[in-house]
Amino acid sequence: MNCDLVKQNIVFYVYDELADDARYEMEQHLGRCQTCAGELKQARDFRADMSSAPHAQLEPSPNFLAASRMRLQESLETTEQRQGWRRWVFDPVAWLHQVRFAPALAAAIFIFGFAGGVVATFQSRHSGVAETTSTAGSPTEASIAGIREIAQEPGSNKVKISYDRLQPSWKEGSIDDPAIQQLLLYAARNQTNSGVRVNSINLLSQQGDDSRVREALVFALRYDKNPGVRLKALDGLQAYVKDDTRVRDAIIEALLHDSNSGVRTQAIRMLQPVKADSTVRGAFDHLAKEDQNVFIRKEAKRVLGSLPEID
Amino acid sequence: MPTEAVLRLGGGCTTTFPRVRGHMVSQALSRVDDNALIREAQRGNRVAFEDLVRHYDHAVLRLALRLTGSEHDAQDIYQEAFLKAYRNLGSFRFECSFYTWIYRIVTNLCLDHLRKRQVRKEDTAVTVNQEGSEYNLLDNVADDRAVFNPERDLMRRELGRKIGLALNRLTPRERMVFELKHYQGLKLRTIGEMLSTTEETAKNTLFRATQKLRGALAEMR
Repeated sequence: MNCDLVKQNIVFYVYDELADDARYEMEQHLGRCQTCAGELKQARDFRADMSSAPHAQLEPSPNFLAASRMRLQESLETTEQRQGWRRWVFDPVAWLHQVRFAPALAAAIFIFGFAGGVVATFQSRHSGVAETTSTAGSPTEASIAGIREIAQEPGSNKVKISYDRLQPSWKEGSIDDPAIQQLLLYAARNQTNSGVRVNSINLLSQQGDDSRVREALVFALRYDKNPGVRLKALDGLQAYVKDDTRVRDAIIEALLHDSNSGVRTQAIRMLQPVKADSTVRGAFDHLAKEDQNVFIRKEAKRVLGSLPEID
Repeated sequence: MPTEAVLRLGGGCTTTFPRVRGHMVSQALSRVDDNALIREAQRGNRVAFEDLVRHYDHAVLRLALRLTGSEHDAQDIYQEAFLKAYRNLGSFRFECSFYTWIYRIVTNLCLDHLRKRQVRKEDTAVTVNQEGSEYNLLDNVADDRAVFNPERDLMRRELGRKIGLALNRLTPRERMVFELKHYQGLKLRTIGEMLSTTEETAKNTLFRATQKLRGALAEMR
């Protein structure tokens, strides 16, 4: 490698954009050429200068982020998604993608389809009747989840109705069983019964470090309407406050905006170990000055009082 | 920059995540969760979309704030980017990560903004906040080190002013590539994808941007 080539690629070396072999050759050259070593120093100084400038530390404040989110939420309420023609076209890639993440569902579809095929073939051969009859007996209103399609045979009084039935089921197993965990995650997000949500959040909190569980707890803290569920989710997130800034951000958000003062008080307690974080400090500062709740204001002042002075 | 003189670039994965507050690992882990949220949002679940927004909105707002230098403009870009994403979510085909997709939208909006501003020849150093009063955003950046050394703080501000001027002399595209590479830590391959161009073009743009910046800073010293 010659000096010209080094000069033209030094910036990519500094920004870690060279392939290993090119990097090796360049390092060999830099080791024996003083001029190019000086060029490298200048490129590194430039990078350091650009990183130490105030521009590099420009961050949106928590209040600015919260205000932007609120404005977006308001606009989303009046915005419709475009219903393109693609929504109605069967996409085999997307379908396969979904099946990949739901092996149990894929297996069930396969077994059901296979069994259905066997039954239909058997019946058509023995009775000579072309249509498929219900395999589930007469449907009762309570067990019908929805009607898919109604079609009348032209020129006859025969009607074909395709419908989905709800099948009560249960699952028993260890809390570590992936199927049980999947059901708990589903219950945490989808159940209309808040007692079920509290139980599922409580059980999920006992799990080890799992990103899906963490996501579910953050989701519950942000969106669950029941303060009891949100409190349980907060408890479950305790272990991650120090290391995961996304968890920390969610707790700061609860501290600033949750409608329940119990949840906010609990958030204050949880954020105390990380009060030196500038975002946390900013949130406490905001609360100490402007919060309507006297207790929250006092608590925020107390936490700020225990911090060393910075300016 | 002559193409034949350029060394081969290191191969990277299709999507490289930024070093944003140590989120790299957690963002990679949340990719699968993102896909589930996107599918829910595509079925019209707005709560799922809002959850998705929260995964990326801090980085989006920061990028817009740095490129525009104005809270007002940054918020407009943030708003427009996510509304556009929501309206067109039905056409998202999982061919790239949601991260690349939303960044593509944001970078396009930012480029439009920078181009318009270049025509108006505005200065980014002094800006207008949400209440309408003028101030310099960069003056508000806190630096704990300055508490112990005011002289150093003065030099830092002077250097910051020079860097601001030098950045303003770049073309919108050069500014964007430099921002994404230097400040957001993205790979040139990802930057190429986001800007709907090739890795090679992104590389040449980065080369030009750094040459201009180094030249401008040397002139000002």
